[in-house]
Amino acid sequence: MNNEENKILAHRQHVKYFMRFLNVLPSSLSSHDTTRVTIAYFSVSGLDVLGSITSISLDLQSRIIEWLYQLQVEPNKENGDMSACGFQGSSTINIDFESGNNHYRCGHLAMTYTGLCILLTLGDDLSRLNRKALIEGVKALQTEEGNFSATLSGCESDMRFVYCAACISYILNDWSGFNVERATDYIIKSIGYDYGIAQCPELESHGGTTFCALATLSLTDQLNKLTEYQIERLKRWLLFRQIDGYQGRPNKPVDTCYSFWVGASLKILDSLQLSNYANNRNYVYETQDCVVGGFSKWPDTCTDPMHTYLGLAGLSLIGENGLLEIVPTLNISKRAHDHLKALHEKWDSES
Amino acid sequence: MSESGDSDASWIFYKDRPDWSDVTPIPEDDGPAPVVVIAHSEKFEDVYDYFRAILKTNEKSERALLLTKDAVEFNPANYTVWQYRRDLLQALGTDLKTELEYVEAVIKQSPKNYQVWHHRRVLIEWLQDPSLELEVTGDALQQDPKNYHAWQHRQWAIKTFGLFDKEMDFVDTLINEDVRNNSAWNQRYFVMNNHLGWSDYNVQKEICYALEKIKFVKNNESAWNYLRGVLLHDKRGISGNAVVTSFCEELYKNKCRSPYLLAFIIDICEENLKKGETSCIYNSERAIDLCQALATKYDKIRSKYWNYFSEKIKALQNIKTVEQNNMEE
Repeated sequence: MNNEENKILAHRQHVKYFMRFLNVLPSSLSSHDTTRVTIAYFSVSGLDVLGSITSISLDLQSRIIEWLYQLQVEPNKENGDMSACGFQGSSTINIDFESGNNHYRCGHLAMTYTGLCILLTLGDDLSRLNRKALIEGVKALQTEEGNFSATLSGCESDMRFVYCAACISYILNDWSGFNVERATDYIIKSIGYDYGIAQCPELESHGGTTFCALATLSLTDQLNKLTEYQIERLKRWLLFRQIDGYQGRPNKPVDTCYSFWVGASLKILDSLQLSNYANNRNYVYETQDCVVGGFSKWPDTCTDPMHTYLGLAGLSLIGENGLLEIVPTLNISKRAHDHLKALHEKWDSES
Repeated sequence: MSESGDSDASWIFYKDRPDWSDVTPIPEDDGPAPVVVIAHSEKFEDVYDYFRAILKTNEKSERALLLTKDAVEFNPANYTVWQYRRDLLQALGTDLKTELEYVEAVIKQSPKNYQVWHHRRVLIEWLQDPSLELEVTGDALQQDPKNYHAWQHRQWAIKTFGLFDKEMDFVDTLINEDVRNNSAWNQRYFVMNNHLGWSDYNVQKEICYALEKIKFVKNNESAWNYLRGVLLHDKRGISGNAVVTSFCEELYKNKCRSPYLLAFIIDICEENLKKGETSCIYNSERAIDLCQALATKYDKIRSKYWNYFSEKIKALQNIKTVEQNNMEE
């Protein structure tokens, strides 16, 4: 797949690819049942980055928005408790419970974050969000250590959900549910001896979790808590991940998604320009399926919406023609981010 | 996983089971016009219709426990199923040892599933018995020596229950099997940091270990990174340990041009410069030359970075020269 034709963006095919995922998926994807919102996010954001948000008909756009709002968990009707608030990833447990066990119906930080991204990308005014409740839902999930669990209903806590919590707080312009000091402390403790950042303290440094940590520090305006030496060494750790595309850890194979995770981390540190764009681009294109659309993690393997979106987002970071600009911290288009800024101004003037 | 029931001809739908006839299934309510719809198999829908039903009525029974097993089979990533299963285990007083065997089997099938590892962790917390954890994670790491979930669980168990005794042997085996296994090197650091400690003796010993492995495979980032990690605990920094510097010079003399070696020498020069020490081997000129060599020959993919680093060294040198002139005046 090294010939030059394959180094051209199969734009039309990718649009079709995402449109298919927005409709009906085969039963082989049943294990994604509780995370359907993330599939919607990759598809909607993917179409946005392709400059093709209008490929989603107005009718489909409003269906997506209605479907999402229906997944918003409202405060407890009896006692007003908001700790379970957030977005669910699907309607699998979207049932009315009698009191006592309604804690099974609760939001999930990754679904709330990606759900909000979809609403912003589709230009929704977020007026039907219960913002206060969503923030209380975030607050209920921060641990003593400073990191976050994904959900109230039995779940691990790690760097991924620190990032999701930061994004939600940033989007809602309300940090009252996010203890910045404790989260920063957790992030700094998760810096490894090689200056990469891990899922939790002392675990192996990882490109994905490094992104989560750096984006959080950026969104919370805490990058200055890293020393200059830490930043310089982290830049090197990130740049050393480039083989042609990027790997997520030293001595691991390259994978398309790290063109975003590592690329965006470098962008946040204002150092992406120190990397080699041409090699990165060539690798990502080697993982493109020009016939049915989509990108995979490795050449000639199965495509999926996540690698397709992150492949495109990674290409956008290095200025690929025909793609919209991405805001690396939130992982949405600048277009969607501008819409958010306008909403923030509106909320400010109302308060 | 999701299709695993399809080949099973003896499968009976819950709606056709006499012992479930008292339960009214609850279909998924995905709203009037859903998107991203998964066309689940009929079996999947049947199992989850009944799962919703028992969840709603909060039924705590043996049959409910069996149902969660089917629900897990169709989607091991459904965290609510796992949570309800834990609530059932507690309510029914189920023997948790049997549950550990079950969860081990699920881990074998889905070794990269977050929910199942979390389930295991909760069980171990309840039992306060970590006696199987090194074996279970060891098995998973035999399948995939870089499985992040397995390492996370293993570190948690070791730290929580103080299982450090034989961990260095485990690490040695993995590094001997694959000297590029970065996860194993990270675990080595973990054991040193939490258990063996960074006495001067241990620092020196670990330096020798890393150097030996570098001698074996020179272009191995994992070993070089570990060496740097060890040197964080040497008061003399990376530039002050004669064993390390003479090792590097020996490699260089023998024509080794691994980017990790050259970067290391550059960093020695930088450290010396920052300390204000003058050296005829480790100075800004050499660092700049090496950056140039990396940028043009030995690490071309990062040429922009090495040029950038070279400029940083030049700037640092200028500051030092100004400082020195000021002192002389």
